Amino acid sequence: MLNFDWLRNVSPAAAKAVFLGLFIVSGLLVLMIPKASILEGVENPRWWHNLKLWALGVLAIIFTIYSIF
Amino acid sequence: MLSGIDYFIVIAYLVGIMVLGLYFARFVRSADDFFLCGRSLPFWAVGMSIVATDISAMDFVGVAGQSYRFGVSVGNFDWLGSMPAMLLAAFIFVPYFWKAGLYTIPEYLGRRYNDGVRAVASMTWIIFFALDLGVLFWATAVMFEPLMGWPPWFSIIATAIVVGLYTFFGGLTAVVMTDVVQMIIMFVGGATVVVVGLYHAGGWDGLTDKIATMGDAYQNHFKLIQPADTQTPYPWTGILFGLTLVMSNAYMIGNQAIVQRCLATKSVWHAKASMLCGAFFKMFIPMLVMFPGLIAVAMYPGMEDGDKAFPTLVKNLLPPGLRGLLFAGFLAGLMSTIDSILNSTATLWTKDVYERFLKKGASSRHYMIVGQLATVVLLIFGVITSPLSKQFPGIYVAIQTFLSFFQGPAFSILLLGMFWPRATQWGGLVGLVGGICTSILLYIFKGHLFTIEEPFLYISWWSFVVGVLLNVAVSFATKPHPNGRLAGLVFGLPKVPQSSCEAPAC
Repeated sequence: MLNFDWLRNVSPAAAKAVFLGLFIVSGLLVLMIPKASILEGVENPRWWHNLKLWALGVLAIIFTIYSIF
Repeated sequence: MLSGIDYFIVIAYLVGIMVLGLYFARFVRSADDFFLCGRSLPFWAVGMSIVATDISAMDFVGVAGQSYRFGVSVGNFDWLGSMPAMLLAAFIFVPYFWKAGLYTIPEYLGRRYNDGVRAVASMTWIIFFALDLGVLFWATAVMFEPLMGWPPWFSIIATAIVVGLYTFFGGLTAVVMTDVVQMIIMFVGGATVVVVGLYHAGGWDGLTDKIATMGDAYQNHFKLIQPADTQTPYPWTGILFGLTLVMSNAYMIGNQAIVQRCLATKSVWHAKASMLCGAFFKMFIPMLVMFPGLIAVAMYPGMEDGDKAFPTLVKNLLPPGLRGLLFAGFLAGLMSTIDSILNSTATLWTKDVYERFLKKGASSRHYMIVGQLATVVLLIFGVITSPLSKQFPGIYVAIQTFLSFFQGPAFSILLLGMFWPRATQWGGLVGLVGGICTSILLYIFKGHLFTIEEPFLYISWWSFVVGVLLNVAVSFATKPHPNGRLAGLVFGLPKVPQSSCEAPAC
């Protein structure tokens, strides 16, 4: 059990899908964050203050990397 | 040996970084300035500083060596080992820490649980950082000796003086601002090796084609996800449970040297943005530290020691001038890690030990001076202990192993502390200490319990699980904290912070 033997039959392709799913779930959770929380501490909000866009941008990069490799 | 132009670049780098660091001394007047830059830093400086602190010269050599042996799967440590954790830190933990006005992570644990948890967490980090300093100083000497011809003691003292001066006078502001320059130099130096190496290897296509024809041993070299029964240290199960869910979170959320910078930002938005900015730059780190190993596979196959991959590329491919630039990048990696460790350890000592247990209620200037003195003591300790790395070559691995014992349990109490109001002070203490003991036992009996040679990812996961279970069990058996005491410390509760000194449970 300590070596996760019960997952030994999961193929690397299925494992890759798990990681890609993790990135998608992370993106969905980011989208659910209230806008007021995102812009907290900003006096004159501009579009680039929206940290959801930053997070989704970085998630898009890592999603692409794990899709390719 | 380096040539004249290389010497000039390295000396100019050392002098320039010292002058830049000392410039920021004029802004340091109090403990708040020294430890948290008067909470004035912009997100981009902190984001770049996080990356510079995280990456040292040993990553260039070590990760290139691992990618030479095992391929791109070592890149998981910078991609999966940072991204999800940095999102969690940016949107959940760091805003809470920032609004609570914290200086240290153990300070949060002290407020959320009790002073026992704070003391264990703080002393563990202080011991780890102090021992790590000696290793880093020795690594500097090892780099200087063959290239510059300097004896080890001269290299160590020269580095200690340069880093010590600006860290002593400039505090965290000098550390962060020099880190910004050091990250740029690291990126330029690392990218130089990759670009020149790829050119000689026939570009990306030439590289992949060459490795593809090298036989079965290299068939997984371009696969990030390795099977669960792989003999490499990176089975996907370990990457998911040990790295992604535990170690990366423990590092990005619980590491004082990383989080302290976010607490020094000018607003809560800058605190969150700094983590995301750092995550963006971290995406490029594997390309700088991992690709040289792959290039070496194609150009110099059959090396027995993978750690020689990076030095071999530098020696054979880089012309004078570029070697000096890369060496400056190496130095930048080491110095940015050393200065961050110095300042963070001084902060831990001053805020978590000296102010809490030895002298309460002194002036801000008094605590600043204590922090500066702690910096000097640590510097001397690091210099004195640096030759231990020569006498005991395994000391670096031993220190990293010591930290891995702590990370799973530490993250378990941070996680439950933030998300579960029912977690009590005794639950936290038992979870932390019991989890650390579990790690040690698993490590001692690893030969009987695990099928892979270095099961540190699995040890982190299982010690985390035991930490959670013990915390939950003991918390249910002990008296819960009143919600008023937890305000501002637990996700979902009202955000009015309350000092631990006023809390009845303390």
